[in-house]
Amino acid sequence: MDTATFRRELEAWLDANAEELAPPYEGAGSMDEQMAHYSRVKRALYDADFGRYGWPESVNGLGGSPLLRAIVGEEINLRGLADPSPWTMIEVLAPTVIDFARPEIAARLVPPFIRGDEMWCQGFSEPDAGSDLASLTCRAAKTEDGWVVSGQKIWTSFIQYAQRCVLLVRTGEPGSAHRGITALLVDVDSPGITFSPIETMHGRHDFAEVYYDEVFVPNERLIGEENGGWQVAMDILPYERSTTFWHRGALLHRRFSDLVAEVAALGDRSDTAAKALGQAFQSLVAFRSRSRDTQHRLAGGQQLGVETSIDKILITSAELELFEAARDLLGGVVEFDDDLDAAMWRTDYLYSKAAPIYGGTAEIQRNIVARRLLDLGPES
Amino acid sequence: MSELIEADDLALLTSGFEAAMAEAPGPGEADQSLYDLGWAELLDAAPAQGAATAFSALGRSNSAASLLDDVVANALGIAVSLDTCVVFPSPHKATAPAQRRGDTVVIEGLVSARLEMANTAVLAVGNGEGAVATTVDTALLHVSAAKGVDPGHAYRRLSMEIAADALTPLATRGTWEAAVAAAQVALAHQLMGGARWMLAEARQHAIDRVQFSRPVASFQAIRHKLAESLVQFEGAASVAQGCLHDPDPLLAALAKSLAGQAALTTATNAQQVLAGIGFTAEHQFHRWMKRTLVIDTLFGSANSLPAEIGHNLLSEGSAPRLIQL
Ligand SMILES: Cc1cc2nc3c(=O)[nH]c(=O)nc-3n(C[C@H](O)[C@H](O)[C@H](O)COP(=O)(O)OP(=O)(O)OC[C@H]3O[C@@H](n4cnc5c(N)ncnc54)[C@H](O)[C@@H]3O)c2cc1C
Repeated sequence: MDTATFRRELEAWLDANAEELAPPYEGAGSMDEQMAHYSRVKRALYDADFGRYGWPESVNGLGGSPLLRAIVGEEINLRGLADPSPWTMIEVLAPTVIDFARPEIAARLVPPFIRGDEMWCQGFSEPDAGSDLASLTCRAAKTEDGWVVSGQKIWTSFIQYAQRCVLLVRTGEPGSAHRGITALLVDVDSPGITFSPIETMHGRHDFAEVYYDEVFVPNERLIGEENGGWQVAMDILPYERSTTFWHRGALLHRRFSDLVAEVAALGDRSDTAAKALGQAFQSLVAFRSRSRDTQHRLAGGQQLGVETSIDKILITSAELELFEAARDLLGGVVEFDDDLDAAMWRTDYLYSKAAPIYGGTAEIQRNIVARRLLDLGPES
Repeated sequence: MSELIEADDLALLTSGFEAAMAEAPGPGEADQSLYDLGWAELLDAAPAQGAATAFSALGRSNSAASLLDDVVANALGIAVSLDTCVVFPSPHKATAPAQRRGDTVVIEGLVSARLEMANTAVLAVGNGEGAVATTVDTALLHVSAAKGVDPGHAYRRLSMEIAADALTPLATRGTWEAAVAAAQVALAHQLMGGARWMLAEARQHAIDRVQFSRPVASFQAIRHKLAESLVQFEGAASVAQGCLHDPDPLLAALAKSLAGQAALTTATNAQQVLAGIGFTAEHQFHRWMKRTLVIDTLFGSANSLPAEIGHNLLSEGSAPRLIQL
C-alpha cells in the first residue's frame, strides 16, 4: 500500500474512532492508566489491521514498508492518543528479535507484543556497566538444555508491566568485553527474578533494579549466537533511532505547537519569546528532516548504523530546547502550578532531562561521531 | 558527510564550476566564465537544483562570483544577464531594500560586485506586506566605498535616497517572497559548502598536529567540537536539501538560519582546533571564516531569522507540520 493512501485511511479510521481511542483520564494519567490505555490503542490498531502493516508475515504482520509503522506512531502521537514510551519498546526490540531469534520463537512471541497484549523490556544496563556496556557482569552459565543467569541489572524500564526481557549476559571469561556477551529472551515470571521499582525525579516508576538469582533460560531463547550478543545490541541501536525517533518527533511537534498557542494566548509578542520559539522550531525541523532521510534509508532496505548517532544528538537538542523554551516562556508554570496543564509541562520538562542520558549519553554519541564518522583515530 | 548532489551531469557541471571559480577568483571574471559554462541555462532549466549546485561550489571554493543577482532575478521571472544586478536587503534583513517616502525612495541595502558590470539594477520597493519590483539605471546608484571584512567578495552597502520617478516599474512573474526564498536556499548551500571546507581543514589539522606526543585529534575536547560541527552540518544540510523538493518560504528561512548557525559554529570550532595558525593571514582559514560572516547576514541571519520565524508562528497561534514522510 502506498504511504499516502495508508495515511488517509488511517486518519479516517482515527477520526471515526476518536472517542474510543481518547485516553479515559485527564492530563497525563497514572502509569497504570497509561499502560492500560496504550494496550487498548495498540489492540484496536491491530484489529483494524493498521497495526499489522510494516511487520513481516512471519509474525502475523501484513508486510509493507516500515514507513507505515512510522506513520501510525506519528498520527497517534500528533493526536496524543497514547504515551510513546511503551511503544518505543516494540520498535526497539521487535525488529531485532525477528532478525536474530529462532524463527519459531519469533513467530510465537512477537505477535502478542505488537498486538499490545504484552510488554517487553530491555535488560542491558548494570550498576557498574552504564556507558561502558561491554563491561557487564551479569553471568549466564551454560547447562545441557539452556542457561542459568545470576546477577543484577538496573534501569530496566517497564519491567513491572513486562512479560519478557531482552537480556544481555556475560557468557565469556570475565574481561572478555564485547566478545563474551550473549543475548537471551527471558520470561519475566521465571523463578529467581525479583525487582524493585525506582522512582524517577518526575515522580514515576519508569524503571527498576532487577535481580537474577539462578534463573533458568532454555536454549531456544538464545537471540543470535552464543557470545554474539554484542552484534544483537548493535543491531538494536539503529532501530531505536529510526521509527521510534520519528514517533517521538511527532510528540515534540505537538507539544511545540501547544507551546506556541499558549504563548500567543498569554499575549507575549516580545522578540525574546519569538526568538526562543523560532530557535526551538528550527532545531525540531532539523531533526525531522534528518529523521525523514533516515526513515527512507531504512525503507529502502539500507542497513542503518553509527550515522544514526547524529539523529540521536539532534532529537536530544530539540527536546531540551523545546522544554527549556516552555519553562522560560510560560511564566513559572513548571515551578509553581499544579493544574493538569502545568503538570504536563512539568513532567515533560523534567523528562526531557533524561534525553541526553538514555540510549547512550550525549557524550557517548559525540565519541561515536568523532571516531566513526569523522574518523579521528583513537582517543587518548 | 552526505553528498549534496548526486546526479552525474550535475556532478560534471559542479567540477566545471569549481575549476572556473578557482581560476578566476576575482568577481567579474568568474561571472563571465560561469556564464560561458552554461550557468544561465542551468538556472533556467532547474532553478533550485542549479542554484544548489553552483552555490555549494561557491562555498567550497570561496569564489567571489556574484551569482546571487541571477538567482533573485530568475525567481522574479526576469531574464538573467551580466548586465543586470539586484539590490539586496540590508544586513540581517529579508525585507525589501527600498521604501517609498512621498516623491523619494529610501534605499538601505547591499549590492554585489555585479553592479560594476551591469547597467540595470532590480530594486524591490516594499509596499506593506510584500514588495514591487522596479528597475533603475546603475549610474544613479552611489555605492559605499567601504569594502568591509571580506573585500574579496565585494558586497557593499547601498544607502541613499533617489527620486521615485527614476524607478521604472517592472512586471514580474515571480513574487518578492519567492525571490527571498530562492536566495535563502541558495545561500544556505553556500554556507554549507564553506562549513564543509572549514570542517575538513580542521579535521586534517587535528590528525596531523602532534602535542603531548599524540595527535590533538585524540583529545576529547577537540573531538567533541568537531563532532558538534558535523551534527549541525548534517541537520542543516538535510533541510537545505529538502528545500529542493519543497518551495515553502518558511522552510527556506529555516534552511538559511540553520545553515548560518552550522557555519558559524563550525568557524568557531575550526578556529579553536587550528589555534595559532588559524589566526594568521597566511593560513587560508580566515578567508572562509570571513565569508561566512558576510553570507550569514544576507537575506536574514542565524541571529535575526529565528525571531522572525517565531513572530510568524505566534501570529498563526500554532506550528505547521513541515517535512512529510
Ligand atoms: C529514563 C531512562 C530509561 C532507561 N531505560 C533503560 C532500559 O530500559 N534498559 C537499560 O538497560 N538501560 C536503561 N537506561 C539506562 C541508560 O542506558 C544509562 O543510564 C546510560 O547508558 C548511562 O549509563 P550511566 O547512567 O551508568 O552513566 P555513566 O556511564 O556512569 O556516565 C556518567 C557520566 O560520564 C560520562 N561518560 C561515561 N563514559 C564516557 C566516555 N567514554 N567519554 C565521555 N564521557 C563519558 C557520561 O556521558 C555521563 O555524563 C535508562 C536510563 C534512563 C535515564
